[in-house]
Amino acid sequence: MPARVVITGLGVVSPIGIGVSEFWKAALAGRSGITAVSSFEPFPMDGYRSRVAGQIHNFVPEQLLTGVLPERVDRYAQFALVATKEALADSHLQMEQENAHRVGVIVGAGMGGMVMGEREITQLYQQQKPHRVHPNFIPMITLNSASGIIAMAYGAKGPNLTISTACSSSAHALGQALQCIREGRADVVITVGADASITPLVFAGFCSLRALSTKYNDRPDQASRPFDKGRDGFVMGEGAGALILESAAHAKKRKAHVYAEIAGYAATSEAYHMVIPREDGEEVATTMRLALADAGITPAQVDYINAHATSTPIGDAVEAKALRHVFKARVEKIAINATKSLIGHTLGAAGAIGAIASILSVHTGRIHPTANYADPDPACALPGISRSGQERRVNTALLNAFGFGSNNAAVVLKRVTT
Amino acid sequence: MATSTTTAVKISTALAEYLKRDPSSIIESHHLRDDLGLDSMAVIELLYRIEEVFNIQIPDEDLVGLTTVGHVIAYVDKRLGNTQSTSASRKPSKASSKKRS
Repeated sequence: MPARVVITGLGVVSPIGIGVSEFWKAALAGRSGITAVSSFEPFPMDGYRSRVAGQIHNFVPEQLLTGVLPERVDRYAQFALVATKEALADSHLQMEQENAHRVGVIVGAGMGGMVMGEREITQLYQQQKPHRVHPNFIPMITLNSASGIIAMAYGAKGPNLTISTACSSSAHALGQALQCIREGRADVVITVGADASITPLVFAGFCSLRALSTKYNDRPDQASRPFDKGRDGFVMGEGAGALILESAAHAKKRKAHVYAEIAGYAATSEAYHMVIPREDGEEVATTMRLALADAGITPAQVDYINAHATSTPIGDAVEAKALRHVFKARVEKIAINATKSLIGHTLGAAGAIGAIASILSVHTGRIHPTANYADPDPACALPGISRSGQERRVNTALLNAFGFGSNNAAVVLKRVTT
Repeated sequence: MATSTTTAVKISTALAEYLKRDPSSIIESHHLRDDLGLDSMAVIELLYRIEEVFNIQIPDEDLVGLTTVGHVIAYVDKRLGNTQSTSASRKPSKASSKKRS
Protein backbone atom coordinates (compact mmCIF):
# COMPACT_ATOMS: atom_id res chain seq x y z
CA MET A 1 0.00 0.00 0.00
CA PRO A 2 1.47 3.39 -0.97
CA ALA A 3 2.51 5.68 1.85
CA ARG A 4 0.10 8.36 2.98
CA VAL A 5 1.64 11.81 2.71
CA VAL A 6 1.16 14.74 5.06
CA ILE A 7 2.23 18.36 5.22
CA THR A 8 4.17 19.42 8.29
CA GLY A 9 5.61 22.83 7.47
CA LEU A 10 4.65 25.96 5.53
CA GLY A 11 6.53 29.02 4.34
CA VAL A 12 5.52 31.89 2.10
CA VAL A 13 6.87 35.03 0.48
CA SER A 14 4.05 37.03 -1.07
CA PRO A 15 2.92 40.52 -2.01
CA ILE A 16 0.70 40.57 1.10
CA GLY A 17 3.24 39.27 3.53
CA ILE A 18 6.56 37.57 4.06
CA GLY A 19 5.84 34.71 6.42
CA VAL A 20 2.74 32.57 6.82
CA SER A 21 1.31 34.52 9.73
CA GLU A 22 1.49 37.89 7.96
CA PHE A 23 0.22 36.37 4.70
CA TRP A 24 -2.76 34.65 6.31
CA LYS A 25 -3.78 37.65 8.39
CA ALA A 26 -3.78 39.85 5.27
CA ALA A 27 -5.58 37.20 3.21
CA LEU A 28 -8.38 36.82 5.76
CA ALA A 29 -8.73 40.59 5.83
CA GLY A 30 -9.01 40.59 2.03
CA ARG A 31 -6.09 42.97 1.72
CA SER A 32 -4.84 43.43 -1.84
CA GLY A 33 -1.13 43.29 -2.64
CA ILE A 34 -1.61 44.80 -6.08
CA THR A 35 0.03 48.18 -6.64
CA ALA A 36 1.27 50.34 -9.51
CA VAL A 37 4.38 48.76 -11.06
CA SER A 38 7.42 50.42 -9.54
CA SER A 39 10.41 48.40 -10.56
CA PHE A 40 10.98 49.53 -14.13
CA GLU A 41 12.32 53.00 -13.33
CA PRO A 42 13.83 54.71 -15.28
CA PHE A 43 12.01 52.61 -17.87
CA PRO A 44 8.89 54.59 -18.87
CA MET A 45 5.71 52.76 -17.89
CA ASP A 46 3.50 54.57 -20.38
CA GLY A 47 4.55 52.14 -23.09
CA TYR A 48 2.94 49.32 -21.12
CA ARG A 49 -0.76 48.65 -21.49
CA SER A 50 -0.90 47.14 -18.01
CA ARG A 51 0.79 49.02 -15.16
CA VAL A 52 -0.23 47.08 -12.08
CA ALA A 53 1.27 44.04 -10.38
CA GLY A 54 1.62 42.14 -7.14
CA GLN A 55 5.20 43.06 -6.29
CA ILE A 56 7.00 42.36 -3.04
CA HIS A 57 8.31 45.72 -1.95
CA ASN A 58 9.82 44.89 1.42
CA PHE A 59 12.03 41.94 0.47
CA VAL A 60 15.60 42.64 1.61
CA PRO A 61 17.67 39.59 0.68
CA GLU A 62 20.64 40.62 2.82
CA GLN A 63 18.40 40.50 5.90
CA LEU A 64 16.50 37.36 5.01
CA LEU A 65 19.06 35.00 3.47
CA THR A 66 21.56 33.10 5.54
CA GLY A 67 24.55 31.16 4.25
CA VAL A 68 24.04 32.28 0.65
CA LEU A 69 25.45 35.28 -1.17
CA PRO A 70 22.41 37.19 -2.50
CA GLU A 71 24.30 38.22 -5.63
CA ARG A 72 24.73 34.56 -6.58
CA VAL A 73 21.01 33.78 -6.43
CA ASP A 74 18.32 35.28 -8.65
CA ARG A 75 15.28 36.90 -7.03
CA TYR A 76 12.98 33.91 -7.59
CA ALA A 77 15.47 31.57 -5.90
CA GLN A 78 15.92 34.06 -3.06
CA PHE A 79 12.16 33.88 -2.51
CA ALA A 80 12.35 30.08 -2.64
CA LEU A 81 15.14 29.99 -0.06
CA VAL A 82 13.33 32.30 2.35
CA ALA A 83 10.06 30.34 2.06
CA THR A 84 11.95 27.07 2.55
CA LYS A 85 13.70 28.40 5.64
CA GLU A 86 10.33 29.22 7.22
CA ALA A 87 8.74 25.91 6.21
CA LEU A 88 11.62 23.85 7.58
CA ALA A 89 11.63 25.76 10.86
CA ASP A 90 7.84 25.32 11.05
CA SER A 91 8.18 21.57 10.51
CA HIS A 92 10.89 21.22 13.18
CA LEU A 93 12.66 18.80 10.86
CA GLN A 94 16.23 18.33 12.05
CA MET A 95 18.29 17.62 8.96
CA GLU A 96 21.20 16.25 11.00
CA GLN A 97 18.88 13.53 12.30
CA GLU A 98 17.63 12.58 8.84
CA ASN A 99 19.08 10.25 6.23
CA ALA A 100 20.05 13.01 3.79
CA HIS A 101 19.41 10.78 0.77
CA ARG A 102 15.79 10.37 1.90
CA VAL A 103 15.12 14.12 1.81
CA GLY A 104 14.30 15.46 -1.65
CA VAL A 105 13.64 18.88 -3.13
CA ILE A 106 11.11 19.54 -5.88
CA VAL A 107 10.65 23.09 -7.12
CA GLY A 108 8.07 24.41 -9.53
CA ALA A 109 9.18 27.48 -11.49
CA GLY A 110 7.66 28.89 -14.63
CA MET A 111 10.15 31.55 -15.65
CA GLY A 112 13.16 31.21 -13.35
CA GLY A 113 16.03 33.69 -13.16
CA MET A 114 14.68 36.40 -15.39
CA VAL A 115 16.11 39.33 -13.42
CA MET A 116 19.67 38.26 -14.18
CA GLY A 117 18.67 37.01 -17.61
CA GLU A 118 17.25 40.30 -18.80
CA ARG A 119 20.07 42.36 -17.32
CA GLU A 120 22.80 40.38 -19.03
CA ILE A 121 21.04 40.11 -22.37
CA THR A 122 20.40 43.85 -22.38
CA GLN A 123 24.02 44.67 -21.56
CA LEU A 124 25.35 42.25 -24.14
CA TYR A 125 23.26 43.69 -26.94
CA GLN A 126 23.89 47.31 -25.92
CA GLN A 127 27.62 47.06 -25.22
CA GLN A 128 28.54 44.20 -27.55
CA LYS A 129 31.12 42.91 -25.07
CA PRO A 130 30.66 39.15 -24.79
CA HIS A 131 33.55 38.91 -22.33
CA ARG A 132 31.56 41.10 -19.90
CA VAL A 133 28.68 38.63 -19.56
CA HIS A 134 28.66 37.81 -15.86
CA PRO A 135 30.18 34.44 -14.90
CA ASN A 136 27.08 33.72 -12.80
CA PHE A 137 24.71 34.28 -15.69
CA ILE A 138 24.38 30.57 -16.53
CA PRO A 139 24.25 29.23 -12.95
CA MET A 140 21.60 31.81 -12.07
CA ILE A 141 19.32 31.44 -15.07
CA THR A 142 19.52 27.66 -15.13
CA LEU A 143 15.94 26.74 -14.29
CA ASN A 144 16.91 24.33 -11.51
CA SER A 145 19.03 26.90 -9.69
CA ALA A 146 16.48 27.16 -6.86
CA SER A 147 16.14 23.41 -6.30
CA GLY A 148 19.91 23.08 -6.40
CA ILE A 149 20.62 25.87 -3.95
CA ILE A 150 17.95 24.65 -1.51
CA ALA A 151 19.55 21.21 -1.45
CA MET A 152 22.96 22.78 -0.86
CA ALA A 153 21.64 25.05 1.89
CA TYR A 154 20.15 22.14 3.86
CA GLY A 155 22.13 19.11 2.74
CA ALA A 156 19.13 17.42 1.14
CA LYS A 157 20.62 14.66 -1.02
CA GLY A 158 17.46 12.92 -2.20
CA PRO A 159 15.71 13.41 -5.54
CA ASN A 160 16.24 16.99 -6.72
CA LEU A 161 13.92 18.12 -9.47
CA THR A 162 12.53 21.21 -11.08
CA ILE A 163 9.15 21.15 -12.74
CA SER A 164 8.30 23.83 -15.25
CA THR A 165 4.75 23.82 -16.53
CA ALA A 166 4.18 27.58 -16.52
CA CYS A 167 1.38 28.55 -14.14
CA SER A 168 0.76 25.00 -12.96
CA SER A 169 4.43 24.35 -12.09
CA SER A 170 4.14 24.11 -8.34
CA ALA A 171 0.84 22.22 -8.33
CA HIS A 172 2.72 19.67 -10.41
CA ALA A 173 5.65 19.92 -7.99
CA LEU A 174 3.28 19.03 -5.14
CA GLY A 175 1.88 16.13 -7.12
CA GLN A 176 5.29 14.80 -8.07
CA ALA A 177 6.45 15.13 -4.46
CA LEU A 178 3.39 13.13 -3.40
CA GLN A 179 4.25 10.43 -5.94
CA CYS A 180 7.88 10.41 -4.87
CA ILE A 181 6.97 9.72 -1.22
CA ARG A 182 4.19 7.29 -2.13
CA GLU A 183 6.66 5.27 -4.18
CA GLY A 184 9.06 5.17 -1.26
CA ARG A 185 11.81 7.15 -2.97
CA ALA A 186 11.97 9.70 -0.15
CA ASP A 187 10.64 10.24 3.37
CA VAL A 188 10.52 14.00 3.04
CA VAL A 189 10.28 16.31 0.04
CA ILE A 190 10.81 20.05 0.40
CA THR A 191 8.29 21.26 -2.17
CA VAL A 192 8.46 24.81 -3.42
CA GLY A 193 6.93 27.06 -6.05
CA ALA A 194 8.70 30.29 -6.94
CA ASP A 195 8.76 32.97 -9.62
CA ALA A 196 9.91 36.59 -9.82
CA SER A 197 9.52 37.78 -13.35
CA ILE A 198 7.88 41.19 -13.10
CA THR A 199 10.67 42.41 -15.32
CA PRO A 200 10.57 44.85 -18.26
CA LEU A 201 10.72 42.11 -20.91
CA VAL A 202 8.45 39.46 -19.37
CA PHE A 203 5.90 42.05 -18.35
CA ALA A 204 5.92 43.45 -21.90
CA GLY A 205 5.51 39.93 -23.25
CA PHE A 206 2.39 39.29 -21.21
CA CYS A 207 1.08 42.73 -22.24
CA SER A 208 1.63 41.84 -25.88
CA LEU A 209 -0.17 38.57 -25.35
CA ARG A 210 -3.15 40.68 -24.20
CA ALA A 211 -3.27 38.53 -21.09
CA LEU A 212 -3.02 41.27 -18.45
CA SER A 213 -5.60 43.59 -16.93
CA THR A 214 -5.44 47.10 -18.41
CA LYS A 215 -8.65 48.79 -17.25
CA TYR A 216 -7.65 49.33 -13.64
CA ASN A 217 -4.24 51.00 -13.94
CA ASP A 218 -5.52 53.87 -11.80
CA ARG A 219 -7.10 51.48 -9.25
CA PRO A 220 -4.50 48.72 -8.81
CA ASP A 221 -6.25 46.98 -5.92
CA GLN A 222 -9.31 46.44 -8.13
CA ALA A 223 -7.47 44.97 -11.11
CA SER A 224 -7.51 41.30 -10.07
CA ARG A 225 -11.19 40.34 -9.93
CA PRO A 226 -11.73 36.63 -10.62
CA PHE A 227 -15.26 35.59 -11.59
CA ASP A 228 -16.39 39.24 -11.63
CA LYS A 229 -18.11 40.68 -14.68
CA GLY A 230 -15.58 43.52 -14.88
CA ARG A 231 -12.47 41.29 -15.07
CA ASP A 232 -10.23 41.96 -18.04
CA GLY A 233 -7.09 39.89 -17.62
CA PHE A 234 -4.74 38.66 -14.96
CA VAL A 235 -2.38 40.69 -12.83
CA MET A 236 1.21 39.52 -12.56
CA GLY A 237 2.45 38.64 -9.10
CA GLU A 238 5.69 37.29 -7.66
CA GLY A 239 6.55 35.16 -4.68
CA ALA A 240 7.18 31.69 -3.34
CA GLY A 241 5.46 29.04 -1.30
CA ALA A 242 7.20 26.14 0.43
CA LEU A 243 5.65 23.03 1.92
CA ILE A 244 7.28 20.17 3.78
CA LEU A 245 5.75 16.91 2.57
CA GLU A 246 6.55 13.70 4.35
CA SER A 247 5.19 10.23 4.78
CA ALA A 248 2.60 10.00 7.54
CA ALA A 249 4.72 7.31 9.19
CA HIS A 250 7.79 9.53 9.18
CA ALA A 251 5.83 12.46 10.61
CA LYS A 252 4.35 10.24 13.30
CA LYS A 253 7.73 8.83 14.23
CA ARG A 254 9.17 12.25 14.88
CA LYS A 255 5.92 13.52 16.48
CA ALA A 256 5.57 16.31 13.92
CA HIS A 257 2.64 18.69 13.82
CA VAL A 258 0.51 17.81 10.79
CA TYR A 259 -1.42 20.51 8.93
CA ALA A 260 -3.19 18.30 6.42
CA GLU A 261 -2.86 15.25 4.22
CA ILE A 262 -2.11 15.60 0.52
CA ALA A 263 -4.34 12.81 -0.68
CA GLY A 264 -4.71 13.05 -4.44
CA TYR A 265 -3.25 14.50 -7.59
CA ALA A 266 -3.85 14.48 -11.30
CA ALA A 267 -1.96 15.91 -14.24
CA THR A 268 -3.32 16.07 -17.76
CA SER A 269 -2.66 17.85 -21.01
CA GLU A 270 -5.45 19.31 -23.10
CA ALA A 271 -3.22 18.78 -26.14
CA TYR A 272 -5.10 21.71 -27.55
CA HIS A 273 -3.47 25.18 -27.58
CA MET A 274 -0.41 26.90 -26.07
CA VAL A 275 -2.38 29.59 -24.25
CA ILE A 276 -6.13 29.01 -24.75
CA PRO A 277 -8.10 26.47 -22.70
CA ARG A 278 -10.72 24.27 -24.28
CA GLU A 279 -13.93 26.24 -23.89
CA ASP A 280 -16.14 23.28 -22.98
CA GLY A 281 -14.15 22.76 -19.77
CA GLU A 282 -14.13 18.99 -20.28
CA GLU A 283 -10.38 18.57 -19.85
CA VAL A 284 -10.33 20.66 -16.70
CA ALA A 285 -13.25 18.59 -15.39
CA THR A 286 -11.43 15.37 -16.21
CA THR A 287 -8.38 16.57 -14.29
CA MET A 288 -10.45 17.29 -11.18
CA ARG A 289 -12.23 13.91 -11.44
CA LEU A 290 -8.92 12.08 -11.72
CA ALA A 291 -7.50 13.89 -8.68
CA LEU A 292 -10.59 13.03 -6.62
CA ALA A 293 -10.38 9.40 -7.74
CA ASP A 294 -6.70 9.33 -6.84
CA ALA A 295 -7.65 10.50 -3.33
CA GLY A 296 -10.41 7.89 -3.17
CA ILE A 297 -13.15 10.44 -2.59
CA THR A 298 -16.30 11.50 -4.39
CA PRO A 299 -17.27 15.03 -5.50
CA ALA A 300 -19.86 15.04 -2.71
CA GLN A 301 -17.08 15.05 -0.12
CA VAL A 302 -15.43 18.29 -1.26
CA ASP A 303 -16.10 21.31 0.99
CA TYR A 304 -13.80 23.92 -0.45
CA ILE A 305 -12.04 24.72 -3.73
CA ASN A 306 -9.09 27.03 -4.20
CA ALA A 307 -9.73 27.91 -7.83
CA HIS A 308 -7.06 28.65 -10.41
CA ALA A 309 -9.18 31.73 -11.28
CA THR A 310 -6.67 34.16 -12.73
CA SER A 311 -9.23 36.85 -13.63
CA THR A 312 -9.06 36.33 -17.38
CA PRO A 313 -12.40 36.45 -19.19
CA ILE A 314 -12.11 32.98 -20.71
CA GLY A 315 -10.15 31.13 -18.02
CA ASP A 316 -12.54 31.82 -15.14
CA ALA A 317 -15.60 30.95 -17.25
CA VAL A 318 -14.07 27.65 -18.34
CA GLU A 319 -13.14 26.73 -14.78
CA ALA A 320 -16.64 27.58 -13.50
CA LYS A 321 -18.14 25.45 -16.28
CA ALA A 322 -15.84 22.57 -15.36
CA LEU A 323 -16.78 22.88 -11.68
CA ARG A 324 -20.44 22.54 -12.66
CA HIS A 325 -19.61 19.47 -14.77
CA VAL A 326 -17.86 17.72 -11.90
CA PHE A 327 -19.87 18.76 -8.87
CA LYS A 328 -23.27 19.30 -10.49
CA ALA A 329 -25.83 20.69 -7.97
CA ARG A 330 -23.37 20.13 -5.14
CA VAL A 331 -21.18 22.96 -6.51
CA GLU A 332 -23.56 25.47 -4.94
CA LYS A 333 -22.70 24.15 -1.47
CA ILE A 334 -18.93 24.32 -1.90
CA ALA A 335 -16.93 27.31 -0.66
CA ILE A 336 -14.75 28.65 -3.48
CA ASN A 337 -12.14 31.38 -3.49
CA ALA A 338 -9.37 32.82 -5.62
CA THR A 339 -6.07 33.64 -3.92
CA LYS A 340 -5.00 35.52 -7.06
CA SER A 341 -7.61 38.18 -6.30
CA LEU A 342 -5.28 39.27 -3.47
CA ILE A 343 -1.75 38.67 -4.72
CA GLY A 344 -2.11 38.47 -8.49
CA HIS A 345 -0.85 35.55 -10.50
CA THR A 346 2.48 34.42 -9.12
CA LEU A 347 2.95 32.00 -12.07
CA GLY A 348 5.15 29.12 -10.93
CA ALA A 349 4.46 29.94 -7.28
CA ALA A 350 0.68 30.03 -7.68
CA GLY A 351 0.02 26.34 -6.96
CA ALA A 352 2.17 26.31 -3.83
CA ILE A 353 0.72 29.54 -2.43
CA GLY A 354 -2.82 28.38 -3.29
CA ALA A 355 -2.07 25.09 -1.53
CA ILE A 356 -0.90 26.98 1.56
CA ALA A 357 -4.14 29.00 1.59
CA SER A 358 -6.09 25.74 1.19
CA ILE A 359 -4.20 23.99 3.97
CA LEU A 360 -4.72 26.93 6.31
CA SER A 361 -8.44 26.75 5.53
CA VAL A 362 -8.47 23.03 6.32
CA HIS A 363 -6.53 23.79 9.46
CA THR A 364 -8.44 26.85 10.72
CA GLY A 365 -11.89 26.57 9.16
CA ARG A 366 -11.50 30.06 7.71
CA ILE A 367 -11.67 30.82 3.99
CA HIS A 368 -10.20 34.08 2.73
CA PRO A 369 -12.32 36.47 0.66
CA THR A 370 -12.21 36.71 -3.12
CA ALA A 371 -11.43 40.39 -3.57
CA ASN A 372 -13.40 42.45 -6.08
CA TYR A 373 -16.10 39.86 -6.61
CA ALA A 374 -18.56 42.72 -6.76
CA ASP A 375 -20.64 42.00 -9.83
CA PRO A 376 -20.79 38.23 -10.41
CA ASP A 377 -20.42 37.29 -14.05
CA PRO A 378 -23.38 35.04 -14.98
CA ALA A 379 -20.93 32.95 -17.02
CA CYS A 380 -19.10 31.90 -13.88
CA ALA A 381 -21.12 32.97 -10.86
CA LEU A 382 -21.24 30.35 -8.13
CA PRO A 383 -22.90 30.86 -4.74
CA GLY A 384 -19.85 29.62 -2.88
CA ILE A 385 -17.68 32.54 -3.97
CA SER A 386 -17.63 35.31 -1.39
CA ARG A 387 -15.90 38.65 -1.21
CA SER A 388 -16.22 38.78 2.54
CA GLY A 389 -14.66 35.48 3.55
CA GLN A 390 -16.29 32.45 5.13
CA GLU A 391 -16.05 30.25 8.16
CA ARG A 392 -16.80 26.56 7.86
CA ARG A 393 -15.26 23.24 8.67
CA VAL A 394 -13.21 22.04 5.70
CA ASN A 395 -12.55 18.34 5.62
CA THR A 396 -11.55 18.15 1.98
CA ALA A 397 -10.14 20.85 -0.27
CA LEU A 398 -9.38 20.83 -3.97
CA LEU A 399 -6.71 22.99 -5.57
CA ASN A 400 -6.74 23.74 -9.27
CA ALA A 401 -3.85 24.98 -11.39
CA PHE A 402 -3.67 25.34 -15.14
CA GLY A 403 -0.74 26.45 -17.25
CA PHE A 404 0.30 27.59 -20.69
CA GLY A 405 1.28 24.63 -22.77
CA SER A 406 -2.18 23.07 -22.34
CA ASN A 407 -1.40 21.84 -18.82
CA ASN A 408 -3.85 21.05 -16.05
CA ALA A 409 -3.23 19.92 -12.49
CA ALA A 410 -5.46 19.31 -9.49
CA VAL A 411 -4.49 18.44 -5.92
CA VAL A 412 -6.68 17.13 -3.09
CA LEU A 413 -5.95 18.11 0.52
CA LYS A 414 -7.66 16.52 3.51
CA ARG A 415 -8.10 17.20 7.17
CA VAL A 416 -6.15 14.75 9.29
CA THR A 417 -7.99 13.30 12.23
CA THR A 418 -5.81 12.06 15.03
CA MET B 1 50.93 53.07 -16.85
CA ALA B 2 49.84 51.85 -13.43
CA THR B 3 52.48 51.32 -10.84
CA SER B 4 52.72 48.07 -8.95
CA THR B 5 51.54 49.82 -5.80
CA THR B 6 48.34 51.15 -7.32
CA THR B 7 47.69 47.79 -8.95
CA ALA B 8 48.13 46.07 -5.61
CA VAL B 9 45.81 48.53 -3.89
CA LYS B 10 43.14 48.16 -6.54
CA ILE B 11 43.32 44.38 -6.45
CA SER B 12 43.28 44.26 -2.66
CA THR B 13 40.30 46.60 -2.68
CA ALA B 14 38.43 44.50 -5.25
CA LEU B 15 39.22 41.36 -3.29
CA ALA B 16 38.21 42.96 0.01
CA GLU B 17 34.91 44.13 -1.46
CA TYR B 18 34.27 40.67 -2.83
CA LEU B 19 35.15 38.95 0.43
CA LYS B 20 33.52 41.67 2.54
CA ARG B 21 36.63 42.08 4.71
CA ASP B 22 39.27 44.68 5.55
CA PRO B 23 41.77 45.25 2.64
CA SER B 24 44.65 45.46 5.12
CA SER B 25 43.97 41.86 6.16
CA ILE B 26 44.82 40.64 2.68
CA ILE B 27 48.48 40.03 1.89
CA GLU B 28 50.23 39.09 -1.34
CA SER B 29 51.26 35.65 -0.14
CA HIS B 30 47.64 34.66 0.50
CA HIS B 31 46.62 31.68 -1.55
CA LEU B 32 43.26 32.42 -3.17
CA ARG B 33 41.82 29.00 -2.36
CA ASP B 34 43.68 27.84 0.74
CA ASP B 35 43.94 31.16 2.60
CA LEU B 36 41.03 33.19 1.30
CA GLY B 37 38.58 30.33 0.74
CA LEU B 38 37.82 31.09 -2.89
CA ASP B 39 36.58 28.10 -4.84
CA SER B 40 37.14 27.93 -8.60
CA MET B 41 33.85 29.72 -9.28
CA ALA B 42 34.73 32.47 -6.82
CA VAL B 43 38.12 32.96 -8.51
CA ILE B 44 36.31 33.41 -11.82
CA GLU B 45 33.98 35.97 -10.25
CA LEU B 46 36.96 37.83 -8.80
CA LEU B 47 38.81 37.90 -12.11
CA TYR B 48 35.64 39.17 -13.78
CA ARG B 49 35.80 42.16 -11.42
CA ILE B 50 39.50 42.65 -12.02
CA GLU B 51 38.97 42.63 -15.77
CA GLU B 52 36.53 45.48 -15.30
CA VAL B 53 38.71 47.46 -12.91
CA PHE B 54 41.75 47.33 -15.23
CA ASN B 55 39.90 47.13 -18.54
CA ILE B 56 41.74 44.00 -19.60
CA GLN B 57 40.71 40.55 -20.76
CA ILE B 58 42.28 37.53 -19.10
CA PRO B 59 42.46 34.53 -21.45
CA ASP B 60 41.52 31.11 -20.06
CA GLU B 61 45.06 29.81 -20.47
CA ASP B 62 46.38 32.45 -18.05
CA LEU B 63 44.10 31.40 -15.19
CA VAL B 64 46.26 28.46 -14.21
CA GLY B 65 49.07 30.65 -12.91
CA LEU B 66 46.89 32.84 -10.77
CA THR B 67 46.80 31.10 -7.42
CA THR B 68 47.93 33.80 -4.96
CA VAL B 69 47.14 37.47 -4.49
CA GLY B 70 50.73 38.23 -5.49
CA HIS B 71 50.36 36.24 -8.71
CA VAL B 72 47.30 38.25 -9.64
CA ILE B 73 49.04 41.58 -8.91
CA ALA B 74 52.13 40.58 -10.90
CA TYR B 75 50.02 39.30 -13.76
CA VAL B 76 47.95 42.46 -13.98
CA ASP B 77 51.06 44.64 -13.73
CA LYS B 78 52.63 42.71 -16.55
CA ARG B 79 49.52 43.04 -18.65
CA LEU B 80 49.34 46.76 -18.06
CA GLY B 81 52.99 47.26 -18.95
CA ASN B 82 53.21 44.73 -21.76
CA THR B 83 50.35 44.16 -24.19
CA GLN B 84 51.91 41.01 -25.69
CA SER B 85 50.40 37.68 -24.82
CA THR B 86 51.55 36.27 -21.51
CA SER B 87 50.30 32.83 -22.23
CA ALA B 88 52.54 31.62 -25.01
CA SER B 89 54.74 29.51 -22.76
CA ARG B 90 51.95 28.07 -20.61
CA LYS B 91 50.00 24.92 -21.11
CA PRO B 92 46.34 25.65 -21.81
CA SER B 93 44.14 24.84 -18.86
CA LYS B 94 40.43 25.47 -19.15
CA ALA B 95 38.97 26.87 -15.97
CA SER B 96 35.70 25.25 -16.88
CA SER B 97 37.12 21.75 -16.95
CA LYS B 98 35.97 21.03 -13.41
CA LYS B 99 32.43 22.22 -13.96
CA ARG B 100 29.61 19.75 -14.34
CA SER B 101 27.78 20.41 -17.59
